[in-house]
Amino acid sequence: METINTFQIWYVFFLQLTPVWISLLITFSALFYWRKYLGVLGHLCNSRIGLVGLFIVLFWVFGAIFADMIALFEPFEQSGMYRRKPPGVINSKVGIPYIFGTDTLGRDLFSRMFYGSQTVLLIAPAACVVAYVVGITLGLPSGYFGGRSDTILSFLANLVLAFPVILLFYLLVAPGVRETILPNIMAGVFFLFPIIFALMVVYSRYSERINVLAPSVIFIFLIGAWLYSGLVFNADPLGLVTIDPNELNIFAAVVFASSPGVFRLVRGLTMDIKTRDYVAAAMTRGEGPFFIMIWEILPNARGPLIVDSCLRVGYVTILLGTLGFFGLGMEPESPDWGSMINQTRSYIRLVPTIVLPATLALASFVLGLNLLADGLREESAKD
Amino acid sequence: MSTPVLEIENLSVSFMTRAAEVPAVMDFSMEVNEGDAMGLVGESGCGKSTVALAIMNYLGGTGKIVGGSIRYRGRDMSTFSENELENIRGSEIAMIYQEPMASLNPAMRISSQLIEVPILHENISKGEAWNRSVEMLQKVNLPDQDRIMNAFPHQLSGGQQQRIVIAMALLSKPSLLLLDEPTTALDVTVEAGIINLIKNLSKEIGTSMLFVSHNLGLILETCNKITVMYSGETVETGEIKQVFRNMRHPYTQGLLRSIPLPGKNKYDAPLKAISGQLPLPHERPNGCNFGPRCPHFNQKSCASNDIEMALVNKKYLHSSRCSRIDQIKWDEKNISSKKSGKKSSKDTLLTINKLSKDYDVAANVVFGGKKKGTIKANVDLNFDAKVGETLAIVGESGCGKSTFAKVLLGLEEASNGKVLFEKKDIGKISVEDRDRKTVSEIQMIFQNPFDTLNPSHSVGGQIIRTLEKVGVGSTVEERKQRMYELLDLVKLPREFDKRMPRQLSGGQKQRIGIARAFAGSPKIVVADEPVSALDVSVQAAVIELLIDIQEKFDTTMLFISHDLSVVRYVADRVVVMYLGKIAEVGTTEEIFSPPYHPYTEALLSAVPIADPDIKKRQILLEGALPSPLNPPKGCVFNTRCPNAIKGKCDSLEPPTQKLENGHTITCHINTKELSKKGNVFAQ
Repeated sequence: METINTFQIWYVFFLQLTPVWISLLITFSALFYWRKYLGVLGHLCNSRIGLVGLFIVLFWVFGAIFADMIALFEPFEQSGMYRRKPPGVINSKVGIPYIFGTDTLGRDLFSRMFYGSQTVLLIAPAACVVAYVVGITLGLPSGYFGGRSDTILSFLANLVLAFPVILLFYLLVAPGVRETILPNIMAGVFFLFPIIFALMVVYSRYSERINVLAPSVIFIFLIGAWLYSGLVFNADPLGLVTIDPNELNIFAAVVFASSPGVFRLVRGLTMDIKTRDYVAAAMTRGEGPFFIMIWEILPNARGPLIVDSCLRVGYVTILLGTLGFFGLGMEPESPDWGSMINQTRSYIRLVPTIVLPATLALASFVLGLNLLADGLREESAKD
Repeated sequence: MSTPVLEIENLSVSFMTRAAEVPAVMDFSMEVNEGDAMGLVGESGCGKSTVALAIMNYLGGTGKIVGGSIRYRGRDMSTFSENELENIRGSEIAMIYQEPMASLNPAMRISSQLIEVPILHENISKGEAWNRSVEMLQKVNLPDQDRIMNAFPHQLSGGQQQRIVIAMALLSKPSLLLLDEPTTALDVTVEAGIINLIKNLSKEIGTSMLFVSHNLGLILETCNKITVMYSGETVETGEIKQVFRNMRHPYTQGLLRSIPLPGKNKYDAPLKAISGQLPLPHERPNGCNFGPRCPHFNQKSCASNDIEMALVNKKYLHSSRCSRIDQIKWDEKNISSKKSGKKSSKDTLLTINKLSKDYDVAANVVFGGKKKGTIKANVDLNFDAKVGETLAIVGESGCGKSTFAKVLLGLEEASNGKVLFEKKDIGKISVEDRDRKTVSEIQMIFQNPFDTLNPSHSVGGQIIRTLEKVGVGSTVEERKQRMYELLDLVKLPREFDKRMPRQLSGGQKQRIGIARAFAGSPKIVVADEPVSALDVSVQAAVIELLIDIQEKFDTTMLFISHDLSVVRYVADRVVVMYLGKIAEVGTTEEIFSPPYHPYTEALLSAVPIADPDIKKRQILLEGALPSPLNPPKGCVFNTRCPNAIKGKCDSLEPPTQKLENGHTITCHINTKELSKKGNVFAQ
């Protein structure tokens, strides 16, 4: 077996990642050039920690985007001859090295690392966004109105939060459950929230002006119905929006587990902000409660929410990894990092480096998100 | 002459920020001799706190003394080692800060915080330190010393906490006491007690004082010398009565003219605000810092070179930093345009009839708690307000004036009684259920200018939204035009509409609050302490603005305040409240002259006046404000009233005695007796 040495491994690594380096360079230059106009992102330039975090996060984002150009092998391409090989072994048939080695089925770890980032980066942020919408839509009224509905919702949120996460996921994502329509029901309920939220936003602001209100509402209904039918029922008339039922299941389960945390955060912030004078001023000019919640309170809660969102994407990433680790996740072939770790962990004693690519990828991505959140928090506190 | 306790010579302090070096104090000189009480006056941002901190060398990471010297008892303080400085701080130079709650460690009992001082500096035993601390607590007029020694700071009231901080500062018998706005966070009557205490104690112990404040009246009462600061420089200094009577700097003159005094009201002599704004540290003009705002500005003498302090009167150590001292006619009377005379009484717009508001207090109201209490925030209020008049509601914190404002606006619902607005009872109708017309006719200006505007929306946008909600204008363009008109009304440039609230100063934000309140041409505007959070010179401008707009729109203004000088200036009629009940109602003249309700008398005597020629009768109230959860029996004021009749005032509710012209006093003592007492202000 021909091998390449460590220096050459890293050389190939850097070379393959050229599209990523170029994109990073362009993005950071643009960021520094236009930082005055970019609000919070511009302020981030003053925080070294935040910039490091942003660098790492964007590294993986661009890695996912350019995965086809970066990868040296196909993600599902197996090889009988080159199974569990250490880093640096060259595939003599095609003359390309497995720079990070291969897993037990002979698949290139380096390429799977970057194809895996695609899966992670598609699901984690999207699940976070939906969790946020659910949390905000429930948390704002709960904090604002208080009373019995608040007590009930908080109790339910605490119930979900107190439930052991792994067990929860076994119940929601286990193969037996996947056959039922429970995932579709859950997804159906959760995907209603963005539509409700968008309607609330538009109605509260433009209730006086019918000529703006009517087209907006119709627009929201159309888009909402289209996306909804595509995602939940897999019955998109245009055939553009589809999602694997497996992925839908995981998506719904992740949203279910993340929403209570957001709910609590938003509820606490609402209870604090509603005591301010400008909220009283809004009340005295006759604003309805929904306007106050969405336009007076929510914009002022964005500091902690932005920071939390970064951290939450990290939690969800780890969660997906955990799911993959337990085999509850995607199909066995999937290159997502959790599954990769699961499939390679038995061979640590044979090839110690076999677990490293996916582990380091997962760790670095979550670290990047944490540093980014740190930087954002510091900067938003200064403003 | 003996060495001065503190001698500051040409001090310059700068802050090294990321952007640039910001000079906070430039060429500051001051001398405090043995037994002196020196007042340091200036607006926020002029650098007075920085001077106080520089003396203690507490400038923080970025502050640095870049010029001049501070000499304590003849020794240059920059030559002191860190050890020596530690020894001096707390034992020879002590400091008292603005927020008493922030100066005390919330996790330590009072006793441990007090005995720490002598143990640290004089190395005495714990027992002896305890005795000295108890003795000091007696000196600062705190009863029940044992209970207080074992209490935690949060269990005490603000006035008590500040007395403890003073006790801590004086325990080591310092030579120099620095006070940085020690009473700003306290109520007027509590403030009077603390100021009296500081005066007596410093005389007794022989401590020299440096009193930093923006309140000229307070400085006049406590200090014998004064230094006026503007934008980092001393502009005038000297013996205090001399400076007040014969001021020789246009800024001092401007400051004194912008303060309402007990004798003035808006019809006799309007306040004259100082035009312009404090310059930013890096935008200071050449020559005199005050030049751009000075009515006597002269290009040749004022804008070329830096101006030095010139001696005006050697006997009173009076100097001033003005190049035109001899050219300005200082005795020229304040030219004021007389406003239209008092309006005749008109129709009643608002009638409050037996209004009561209670709050239920329990651990958990939803699931029911064991311990239930009721706070009677408003008890049986009766008064009315006429069209176009200014009715002031006066009282200290906890008297229920803000609660009343909330009930009127619909933010809270009345528990009992009626609020009759245009013959309709709106007391129990919350703001969500009111129709648009009523909502637009009753508006409010809030107290805290920093919280009154939503920080996430532009200023113009917020005004336009208000216009939309009260139904002004039918198109976006019309509303925008109206918004510009409102900005003109409050004398702000039209470009401000795109700005965010954080880009505006406190005074500017309050003006936007006023514009917003008057957007729908309301019939009643409730101004909840609109100027308390603003600087002296800005106060004058905002008050004048409010009065102008009110007269223009013929709006009834309910002016809530605790500052009686402002009330005297602004109001036509006054309602004095104490612990939820009305003590006295009457026109401004009637309230400010005998007969007084005992509480009104004490309030009047507590207000510091910036006029050395007015003598006040001193009435100090004992004790602290009772808790509204447990109000005293009988007359709620009886626990602090100097004229309380035992047996009557602590068991029976006092009757409301009616005098002529709608003047009422709620007291057991006959008004004839009260009239005999004479005016609080003698001239």
